[in-house]
Amino acid sequence: MTVTLTNPLRVGLRQERVIPPQCLVIFGASGDLTHRKLIPALFELFRQRRLPSEFAVLGCARRPWSDEEFRSRMGEALAQEVEQHQQAWAQFASGLFYEPVDLEQPADVVRLGHRLDQIDRQRATRGNRTFYLSVSPAHYGSGCRALAAAGLLEDPQRSRVVIEKPFGRDYGSAQELNRIVQACAKERQVFRIDHYLGKETVQNILVLRFANTIFEPIWNRNYIDNVQITAAETVGVEERAGYYETSGALRDMVQNHLTQMLALTTMEPPGRFDPEAMRNEKAKVLQAAQLANEAEPWKCCVRGQYSAGGSATRPLSGYRQEPGVNPNSTTETYVAMKLFINNWRWQGVPFYLRTGKRLPKRLSEVVLTFRQAPVHLFDAAGGAPTPNQLILRIQPDEGAEFRFEVKAPGSGMRSRPVDMGFSYDESFGEPSDEGYVRLLADAMLGDATLFTRSDEVEAAWRLYTPLLELIEEAPWQLPVHPYEARTWGPAAADSLLAEDELAWRRP
Amino acid sequence: MSTQLTLQAPLELPPSEVTPYLERLWTHNLDGSSGAATFTLLVWDPAWLEQHLIRTGRLDGPITGLVSDDLVREAVAAVPDCGLPPSTAPLAPDLAWSLGQQPGDRKANDLRGRHVDGAISAHMPRRLITLAPTLEPAEALETLVAAYCPLPEDGGTRPACGDVVVLRGGMAALQQGLDLVNPLVGSDLPCWVWWNGYLDEAPEMLESLAPVARRLIVDSSMGRPRRCLDVLEERIEAGQALNDLNWLRLRSWRESLAMVFDPPNRRDALNHVVQLDIDVEGTHPVKGLLLAAWIADRLGWHLESSYRVGGDDLGDGIGADFLRTDGVAVRFRQMPVPVGVPKTHPGSLVGLRLICEPIGRPPLCVILCSESGGCMRLEAGGVASMELAEEVVPVPSESEEMEVARLLSGGHDSTNPLLAAAAPLAAKLLPD
Repeated sequence: MTVTLTNPLRVGLRQERVIPPQCLVIFGASGDLTHRKLIPALFELFRQRRLPSEFAVLGCARRPWSDEEFRSRMGEALAQEVEQHQQAWAQFASGLFYEPVDLEQPADVVRLGHRLDQIDRQRATRGNRTFYLSVSPAHYGSGCRALAAAGLLEDPQRSRVVIEKPFGRDYGSAQELNRIVQACAKERQVFRIDHYLGKETVQNILVLRFANTIFEPIWNRNYIDNVQITAAETVGVEERAGYYETSGALRDMVQNHLTQMLALTTMEPPGRFDPEAMRNEKAKVLQAAQLANEAEPWKCCVRGQYSAGGSATRPLSGYRQEPGVNPNSTTETYVAMKLFINNWRWQGVPFYLRTGKRLPKRLSEVVLTFRQAPVHLFDAAGGAPTPNQLILRIQPDEGAEFRFEVKAPGSGMRSRPVDMGFSYDESFGEPSDEGYVRLLADAMLGDATLFTRSDEVEAAWRLYTPLLELIEEAPWQLPVHPYEARTWGPAAADSLLAEDELAWRRP
Repeated sequence: MSTQLTLQAPLELPPSEVTPYLERLWTHNLDGSSGAATFTLLVWDPAWLEQHLIRTGRLDGPITGLVSDDLVREAVAAVPDCGLPPSTAPLAPDLAWSLGQQPGDRKANDLRGRHVDGAISAHMPRRLITLAPTLEPAEALETLVAAYCPLPEDGGTRPACGDVVVLRGGMAALQQGLDLVNPLVGSDLPCWVWWNGYLDEAPEMLESLAPVARRLIVDSSMGRPRRCLDVLEERIEAGQALNDLNWLRLRSWRESLAMVFDPPNRRDALNHVVQLDIDVEGTHPVKGLLLAAWIADRLGWHLESSYRVGGDDLGDGIGADFLRTDGVAVRFRQMPVPVGVPKTHPGSLVGLRLICEPIGRPPLCVILCSESGGCMRLEAGGVASMELAEEVVPVPSESEEMEVARLLSGGHDSTNPLLAAAAPLAAKLLPD
């Protein structure tokens, strides 16, 4: 393995956009997300000097912790980081505060307002506040209402709300939640987070498409044969059985992460790079998307559920044997489907989406397969020339690959495919930031470009409504196919592509 | 972003009335409105060049303290009239001084302190205190006060109010007025001091206005080089949060150079640098020295010695010898080069050349050129036989006010560690 030297001249150059003074209020601060993702992301921003001195984090949850207890718990959760950067942590932790708050209790929210005023004075945070709802989705609506009732969302310049996924559990509930949230705050104060959009490679889809002249002319039905979008996980349901049983892969991954990748891959170029122009185009393309067979959706979708597998030395339980899972559960841990986008650019191009747990590799990628060359002049090592493929690797090893045919060495004229690769970590001196680092920074900067707007969310739910209704009303038509843990999903998913004389890319 | 005037004309008050008036204003007239919990911005705003251009009839006025396109155009036009070399930057102190020797007595309205750049007013300073020295040293002290409550454009319901205080007069009068300033700053909000003048003028004033606890913004291209670097070094050593606009303007050079070494196959070459050359416009070396010091610091070079080297019409250049971490010598040369159309600030960079001799590979020559100039001098001298990486560095187009606004929008109470490491080394690089 080659050792990649870091670029010493790159250190400290990520300081361009500095977050304005403000207080980040995290509801659900005693939960997992806070110590696993949010506080590490904030500490990273602090170490990159992207947080101003006038900054504070106010953790809120029902537990009766003190400021000190909150600081110490966060320090314990980040023990390794704290050990490496003790001085920085001491400085960062001095800006961590805690207030016991139950958003259902109006008196608590009023007290929260007073505490925020106090922090404004103490930390000079200028009245700028970002409220992060890291709470159960059932409390998103009531949480927004409570903040609005206490007057904490009145100033659209200085206050904003970040809402985690899932935003609704179907089209109707998303509409209802949007209605509640929009009654409490202006749309531009609302930041619906999808951490996939924080990944460099997801953003790079935009740069690749719209900053280069070579891709956009061929980025359409005339040149592209099909597109596969994969998000594969090696882990099982872990401790999330309670949530996952009511959600499944379709709601947990497809409606948000995969759909966002689909939107960025297929949207039209925006007139300018600003949040509204970007989100207009994403919403438009999602509104043009539909299941390949809406009348008979079971023909374009396959659901699966992992069963026991693994190796003799490391056996893995099946989904139904996982703690907290109903032994007769019909929740899907795998889903594959075929979509079309009915517009001039994409008419007739199939889009295949798949995601699953307990697959052999952890990876996310978008694979654009181009049409075959019209005439095969040369023998190919693999029988027929391999179509060109552009592979955008979202994770891990973020980067891109382009596959094309070259002449194989030797006296004959045989062709064989080769890959031209680009890796973020290798090409730039520093590894990419975690998605939450980027998205938290953007939310606090008030930049909504990488957040989903209400109409996008609704369009995404509407796209999958025929499947959700089918699962609800006639689940036998969309059965859950078992697949062995650590395999690439049920055979029925392969058949879905085989009908089109295609196969899933094996990464 | 357009500039904004205060909504009401500032009220002229006797100096002794300012503090009581503001107290009354906040407890009676503005009772109930929330004072912006933001920061105090204290600006030393002499605008000597603008005042002289107006006095000599080259510019109409009013005096704003802003570096406008008109001001730069008239300053460029005044360079030959003053008998200065064409390489003289419009904001060079030599030009203001030479204009000061020319006759003229034209007056104009003085709007300094009232004429706030939109980028800065968008951050709603809680108090904006401007010290505006006049050309006439004996002029008496005038104190002007205004309050403003800008309503948020998007219908926010909590207008955050602030106030503006202007102290205007001759140097002696402003010295007396200093007693008024400290009580106005207060201690509950961060205070930024923007020294928007030459660093070698009024040192006592700088000391009084910018004690260590305040965040200082200076421009190390403005003033005698030794004084500029001493100020940076002293303030950093004292632990003050120091921001240098000249350093910030190096951003695109640092980014461009880092970019050359992003590809993995180039990174090893950084361990084998043998020569660094920098060309700067005119005779102000600080910006070039800061860039060289940043490179040396990042690559772990040890400074052995620095000295003057022979130059051409513009005078001497600066040479230095470094030792790399592996003990191999690195030669540094910074030369002043004449330019026909200088950039606004003294000592802007023209080009940079870095020569690396990696083991077992052909030498690598990296040349960065400013987009507004050429790099013929750096491209000469046998580099044709080397692997050449040449980049054009864009000229930043942001105004001083935009840079200051960026600092104000997300401030730090400590100096950027890269500047803190580079400035003392740059001071050592400048030979006595």
